[in-house]
Amino acid sequence: MSDYQVVIIGGGATGVGILRDLSMRGVSALLLEQGDLAHGTSSRFHGLLHSGARYAVKDPESATECIDENLILKKIAPHCISNTGGWFVQTQDDPPDYVEQWIKACAEAHIPIREISPSEAYRKEPLMSKSVLRVFEVPDATVDGFKIVWANAKSARRYGGQYKTYHQVERLVMEKERVVGVVTKNLLNGEEIMVGCDIVVNAAGAWASLVAGSIDIPLDVICDKGTLLAFNQRLFQRVINRLRPSGDGDIFVPHETITILGTTSQFVDSPQENDPNEEEVKKLLQIGEQVLPNLTKYRVIRAFSGVRPLHREDHDVPGVNVPGINKEEGRNVSRSFVLIDHGVHNGVQGFISIVGGKFTTYRLMAEKVSDWVAEKLGNMTPCRTATEDLLPEIPENLWKKAAQLLPYAPVGKMLERLQEDTESVLGEIQRDPRKGQMLCECEMVSMAEVEKTAADEDTHHLADIRRKTRLGMGTCQGAYCTYRALPLLWKRQEKYDAIEDELRDFLNQRWKGIRPILWGQQLRETELTRAIYASILQVRG
Amino acid sequence: MSFEPNKAENLDACIKCSACTALCPVAAVNPLFPGPKILGPDAERFRLEGLQIGTTLLNYCSKCKTCEITCPSGVKITEMITRAQEDAKISGGGKTLQFSIRDYLFGRAEYLGRLAMISPNLTNVLLKAPPVRKILAQVLGISSEAPLPAYNPKFKGTETGRQSKKQVVYFPGCFVTYNDPPTGQAIVKVLEHNGYEVIVPSFHCCGTPLEGNGYLNEAKEIAKKNLALMDPFMRAGIPLITGCTSCGLALKECPSFEEPESELQTYDLFEFLWQLHEQNELRENFNEVQVSLGYHASCHLKAQGIGTPSVRLLRLIPGVQVAELDQGCCGLSGSYGFKKEKYNTAMQIGNPLFNRVRQGVASGEFQSVITECGGCQVQIRHGSGIKTEHPIWVLMQAYGLN
Ligand SMILES: Cc1cc2nc3c(=O)[nH]c(=O)nc-3n(C[C@H](O)[C@H](O)[C@H](O)COP(=O)(O)OP(=O)(O)OC[C@H]3O[C@@H](n4cnc5c(N)ncnc54)[C@H](O)[C@@H]3O)c2cc1C
Ligand code: SF4
Ligand code: SF4
Repeated sequence: MSDYQVVIIGGGATGVGILRDLSMRGVSALLLEQGDLAHGTSSRFHGLLHSGARYAVKDPESATECIDENLILKKIAPHCISNTGGWFVQTQDDPPDYVEQWIKACAEAHIPIREISPSEAYRKEPLMSKSVLRVFEVPDATVDGFKIVWANAKSARRYGGQYKTYHQVERLVMEKERVVGVVTKNLLNGEEIMVGCDIVVNAAGAWASLVAGSIDIPLDVICDKGTLLAFNQRLFQRVINRLRPSGDGDIFVPHETITILGTTSQFVDSPQENDPNEEEVKKLLQIGEQVLPNLTKYRVIRAFSGVRPLHREDHDVPGVNVPGINKEEGRNVSRSFVLIDHGVHNGVQGFISIVGGKFTTYRLMAEKVSDWVAEKLGNMTPCRTATEDLLPEIPENLWKKAAQLLPYAPVGKMLERLQEDTESVLGEIQRDPRKGQMLCECEMVSMAEVEKTAADEDTHHLADIRRKTRLGMGTCQGAYCTYRALPLLWKRQEKYDAIEDELRDFLNQRWKGIRPILWGQQLRETELTRAIYASILQVRG
Repeated sequence: MSFEPNKAENLDACIKCSACTALCPVAAVNPLFPGPKILGPDAERFRLEGLQIGTTLLNYCSKCKTCEITCPSGVKITEMITRAQEDAKISGGGKTLQFSIRDYLFGRAEYLGRLAMISPNLTNVLLKAPPVRKILAQVLGISSEAPLPAYNPKFKGTETGRQSKKQVVYFPGCFVTYNDPPTGQAIVKVLEHNGYEVIVPSFHCCGTPLEGNGYLNEAKEIAKKNLALMDPFMRAGIPLITGCTSCGLALKECPSFEEPESELQTYDLFEFLWQLHEQNELRENFNEVQVSLGYHASCHLKAQGIGTPSVRLLRLIPGVQVAELDQGCCGLSGSYGFKKEKYNTAMQIGNPLFNRVRQGVASGEFQSVITECGGCQVQIRHGSGIKTEHPIWVLMQAYGLN
């Protein structure tokens, strides 16, 4: 007997996109995620909503997908996207003959570009190198991975979709030549349950081959690690790309309060291998300096890495030979996605894997998967995710009330994060104005918001609160907010690990990203942090 | 909002220690004021994202600069706050029209002074008249209780026309020029007594009131004008001296004064006199002056980081007893405490100081108060009822000048 029509494995952008799409079509679906939502690659990425211009020459198919999705997402999810625009800048180090090729390819992919004079460019971006040769404007934007993943999940829930976090799928259950369910383990209490369903969707990203492997289906997913640097502030107001064939360290993305520079590309053996290292950091800084002189002077608050799931077998885009870039490296494998019907390929019915792609195209990937699923289930409802708003409109009166109660906070961000929980959080601040104080001052997250998030049924660790609120993601990297949050966890101690373990785990996660960038102001900050925790809380490390 | 590389570095330097907020006098008495850390480096990261936050609260910063001296990372917090104020003004946020007009006027102490000079007596009578104060309160939001200083006939500079090879340039500042010329005359006399020719070019305002009211660019413009006036003297190596601690701070912070040789040229009056003392060039044949004084160090003197040279110097005079009051800010901060909505905050900030002054006088520890800053003098007199004046007057007595 089936508990759900569909089980989706993986709570990244792709998985929650599928959950929402199917739920909107009236298909009953359950999403299982081994960690917290967006804890995989969907929060360890660059945050660029591609215009497609980056792929125009090498991968026109991806480029077209990107520009289409770029326009759709700007329309349906404006709260999760910052429409910064982007530039492609040609420096003296970039191949001169690439420009004309690129202009032509953008035109073919219908990506609007506009050349602007270097002098205008310097005025708008004073930190940019004064020796750039040509500058073109493209409709790049930035996207908040956490926000959009949670917005999808919450929207799906409104349509009856369900998700369970900290539930790892251990294996698929087969009956004859058919998948009939999954066995999943609740990682918080060790409980194993079997969930029956008609179709299983494998949206496990870089982990997808492990999932398929549980029933001996081979799936060639390459794990391509990319490292990124987060600078303390917005150094640029728009996305800055290099006008050259894609390579390392060639994009600056202003993301919320920070700027992200990336990325590197290196094949690794497993998605777990996401530790940034010093060599990658050095390389990024060296290349980034060609666009932003004296880059090492600006404060880096952390380095982080994500693992791209790339699919090798089915790619049909010939790799362009770029000098200095090894053919075996990740950028020559197609970034476009593939849908693998294991009935056709492996003779196993009711099982589909979605592999590859980009964050920018998550909605399109979800649409394709959902079309396939709906057809199998005989559901005729068409996809509506390209037109229906992802987030409900925030009522005017809530805006006003929030601005009044929190006179110095970026309340818009809070409202976008909290959505339907806004009212109760504001009510709490009204009852006790002290809760309107900022618990995390760098990212301006109020005590009431942290308290509410800590009590949320989906929150199981301090890191979950971080992903949902941005707590600890700013300049001080958790130096002050971490201990301030502890009493709020204590209030709900039944849900959390022992407080000292939560503390240590959280600090260690922060430490992982700080270790490769220990110099200058961030070194001072870190030493101060270590002193605080060593002397007050006896946590050493 | 655009920014330059040094602004970016300034923001990066903050390590979020909160020392600045812990010592901010406004945050200490006004629970709604989130303090320098939040309004400065914290909010700055959001302002770079295009989010103007806390614009009305920015105006509650008194620009005392305590935060800047406190900061272990040298973050120019006040400048960040002032620039944000200015940006908010351009984008039309933050203030009512009434307060905008008032802050516009308060920023221009020089023009107000010149206007009052048409008839200082009439201006004073008017400023004391309750109906006028009521109108000022209602129309401009100037507190009817605030101790607006009286105007006096304009400071004329040097009267003796004394010439000497030893020269100094004196920067009187608006308070001396329009409200307290006798103190200016006293400073000139003391310098002349020490063998100096005192040159007084017709300087403009130092820019502090503009900065205090959120007009950073104009403050910089006016600094440039003063710099142009100073230029020939600077080239000739003639030192610039001022007896006002806010003018002193502004002159020392003036961007073009940052080249080390020219910075050395700018002195607080007593800093200069103390240096003469150390070089055995000060006339020290003092008369005995039997007086006990309470000394208040203004915030902008502290921000100069030169200690309290006037206390050291006065203690050289036989008979003079000086007790350092050490009770923090007086609360006035230029025109801040004159503003209707800030009057109470200013008084609360000054309260520990006023109490200390009253107790000191009541117990016979000292008879009156000295402080270099004209604003502090006005506020301490207002808050404690005790006579408060510039320390130069003690030196005048010691030299037997009048
Ligand atoms: C460094 C880097 C920079 C990037 N920059 C950009 C960019 O700027 N713009 C862009 O559009 N794209 C970018 N990408 C690509 C983009 O991030 C990914 O394509 C996208 O996030 C993949 O989403 P996903 O949902 O498929 O995978 P994921 O987000 O990884 O989600 C898969 C989820 O499945 C879960 N899971 C795995 N196994 C199991 C199991 N057995 N049981 C339960 N759950 C399981 C994982 O925990 C994980 O949360 C970047 C990628 C990297 C690495
Ligand atoms: S200048 Fe003074 S009032 Fe303003 S924030 Fe700094 S310490 Fe506070
Ligand atoms: S004192 Fe300086 S370093 Fe500390 S929080 Fe304030 S601005 Fe930042």
